Amino acid sequence: MVGPFEQALLALMIFVIMLGMGASLTPRDFVLALKRPYGLMIGVVSQYGFMPFIGFLLALLLPVSDPIKIGILIMSCMPGGTTSNIFTYFSKGNLALSVLMTVTSTVFGVLLIPIVLVVYAGALDVDIPRENIIITLVLLLVPVAIGMVLRKFNANVGAVTEFLGSMLAVFFILFLIVSWIPRNFTFLLETGWATYVAAIAIGLIGITVGYLFAKALRLHPRNARTVGLETGIQNGPLAIAIIAFTFSGAEQQAINAVPVLYSLFIVIVSTMVTLYFRRANTAAEQKMPDGLL
Amino acid sequence: MSQGNRPWTAFYGPAVRTDIETAAYRTIGDMVSSVAHLYGSKPAFTACLPNGMNGSLSFAQVDEMSDALAVYLRETAGLSKGDRVALQVPNGLSFPVAAFAVFKAGCVLVNVNPLYTAEEMAKQFADAQPQALIVVDIFADKLAQALRGHPVPNIIVTQVAEFFPAMPRGIVRLVQKHWDRTLAPVTLPHIRLPQAIAAGRDIQSGKGIAVESYRAQIEPDDIACLQYTGGTTGVSKGAMLTHENLLMNMEQSMEMISGVEKGREVALTALPLYHIFAFTVNLLGFYYLGARNVLIPNPRPLTNLKRAFENYPITWMSGVNTLFNGLSNEIWFLDSPPKHLKFASAGGMALQSSVAARWEEVTGKPVLEGYGLTESSPVLTFNPLGKTRPGSIGIPVPSTDLRCLDDAGNEVRQGEAGELAARGPQVMKGYWQKPEETAGTMRDGWLLTGDIGIMDADGYFSIVDRKKDMVLVSGFNVYPNEIEDCLVRHPGIVEAAVIGVPDGASGEAIKAFVVRSDRTLTEAVIRAYCKEHLTGYKVPKSVEFREDLPKSNVGKILRKDLRKPVPALRDAS
Repeated sequence: MVGPFEQALLALMIFVIMLGMGASLTPRDFVLALKRPYGLMIGVVSQYGFMPFIGFLLALLLPVSDPIKIGILIMSCMPGGTTSNIFTYFSKGNLALSVLMTVTSTVFGVLLIPIVLVVYAGALDVDIPRENIIITLVLLLVPVAIGMVLRKFNANVGAVTEFLGSMLAVFFILFLIVSWIPRNFTFLLETGWATYVAAIAIGLIGITVGYLFAKALRLHPRNARTVGLETGIQNGPLAIAIIAFTFSGAEQQAINAVPVLYSLFIVIVSTMVTLYFRRANTAAEQKMPDGLL
Repeated sequence: MSQGNRPWTAFYGPAVRTDIETAAYRTIGDMVSSVAHLYGSKPAFTACLPNGMNGSLSFAQVDEMSDALAVYLRETAGLSKGDRVALQVPNGLSFPVAAFAVFKAGCVLVNVNPLYTAEEMAKQFADAQPQALIVVDIFADKLAQALRGHPVPNIIVTQVAEFFPAMPRGIVRLVQKHWDRTLAPVTLPHIRLPQAIAAGRDIQSGKGIAVESYRAQIEPDDIACLQYTGGTTGVSKGAMLTHENLLMNMEQSMEMISGVEKGREVALTALPLYHIFAFTVNLLGFYYLGARNVLIPNPRPLTNLKRAFENYPITWMSGVNTLFNGLSNEIWFLDSPPKHLKFASAGGMALQSSVAARWEEVTGKPVLEGYGLTESSPVLTFNPLGKTRPGSIGIPVPSTDLRCLDDAGNEVRQGEAGELAARGPQVMKGYWQKPEETAGTMRDGWLLTGDIGIMDADGYFSIVDRKKDMVLVSGFNVYPNEIEDCLVRHPGIVEAAVIGVPDGASGEAIKAFVVRSDRTLTEAVIRAYCKEHLTGYKVPKSVEFREDLPKSNVGKILRKDLRKPVPALRDAS
């Protein structure tokens, strides 16, 4: 579905975006997030506790074929990806926490994804493509680190990088939506409503549950927004890679319907959630009088 | 005055001079140049935007650029010594360059609040009669209206990101133009600030003009600044602050600050420089100490300060109660309070003791409260480090006498309340072209502050009340008269009275009592109407509708009766 050139272009875009995200961070942000691992732990519980269960319920309740059920389960077991970092940034969330959550869930994923799948899918045995895990981590951490160094080296270079990265991120989001639909038009027509519901619900319910869970545990709204987005936004490409590694032929294509559809709708859902979070953030801001301040 | 009348001198640190005989420099221009020679290429000013984009000018650059602009003002714009130059820009790199240039040219600086409405600008311009105006482009849309009737012959336009490197400056302008849409075209004839500086440079080299020749004509008691204030009577007027006033007050304030390392401090300037507190203490004082001034163009919302705190090792900051309170409630500030901070100083409005305590708990460093008036350049008192007293405005700065007077003008006994009167080298020359107002405020060399204060046994002062009805909204004097005048101009309003009510965020907030003829008039409509005519802080925060207003037997509205709590039971008649 996506050619090697497009793949390279996407990787380059993500690299530049993450460079910009990194330029908005300081080492202190990570130290602070690590000092209070509470948020991080909540994130892992949310990611591998709630999400697979949500997936399991969706697979159980929706009238879908077996391959789609497998697709839903795999999708819901995925760690967070860079998309969650981008949306956290725009939601005025805690980007350092988001990055750490992505790293944690990705690293733990090697161990946890097979376990969770065994729990929910019984005999389903999947292969975890380690290269993809490593690529995900590299594509996340290397540009973030470079971005941080740039900012440290020169605040203006950092700020300009961040600006360009965030502009590219907006373009990237629009590009994902706009380019996805024509490429998959026939597929959209052929897919049943229940698959749509599942693909939308995984992200939407995930974000909601993660957010409410973090709120219930009294995390700061900024961190709760982060946990919500991190929980609901999964690493779609990793799911596609896992499916490609594990299955073949018609089965592979059928299972793939879920991550492909998810990848479209998560961008739309997250954009709307981000707009809501931004408004909530502005409303919660301290009102400063016009006068001396 | 004898030592006995200044009991507070016992609390001065060992290095503090009790009296400062004469200022270290004759004029502010001399100070700017001398200090620039001392610190040369070190950064003097850094403007930091909310996204971290920034620009810096070194001491030498500020000196050189203000020289060139001074030459432009004198030679090209044709200004003479004593001509007024209005400066209406937010904190940024243009501010020091422009202000220092005006001083060097021997002209008089008129600071104008950039948020002023066209109406308010017009009033100030009508009084000050400036010959030149230096204004930031984002507020230049008000110019045509403000200058109708009293045109200013020279307009110099600057921008928020002035003197930033090209890339961030370009991005800032792009965002302003296409995203914020704050860039209105300037319709009046004008020149851009960098071009004015370039023109000044050309004349400097071409005609061999030395700025020192202007400075030689300036006397220490020449007016440097017309600083507008309502004073204690409410009529807006320009306090005439001389070079000596400002230079002395700069030294007096800095004398009280111990532990300063010259050339190594990093000061955060979040308060607007057009306000006398930041003007004297941050712009002049910290420049004088060779500090790097981190200027914040707009501190609202407070997250706008985050990058400045992250990117610069702030060692010192000035603020008002509102700022300290706000920062102590920001999650990012609580997470990583500035670790290099030595202390903070508060002025402009009363510092609430709970706010001071919370700040110290968060940062581990004290806030030192000072007190002063526009008319005294402004600092009169300050709490010495390590000897602060909560609720007290501290002790008078060197060379300053402060006493409490009764209504007859006699000094009250120590410990009793009376109107504070101050004498010292920082007290203004008088009000610009308002001899009667001046006579009402200055008696035998003493400045009557209009504040009721008490001196304790050690010579520490505290403020108990304000003499007049003026309301202090986050450090700005608001005069009920002006707001009432505006309100009753509304066709649907018969009568209006304005008082100050306690407010957690701004110290005091404006409350309006309105008798309306139009029954459909709502609070929101009145506030929107006020917003059109008044700066934000003057707009009533709440409006109460009344059938009538309490009046004296000569028909004067009694604001003091409105301040009383509403009686629980109302007379049925």
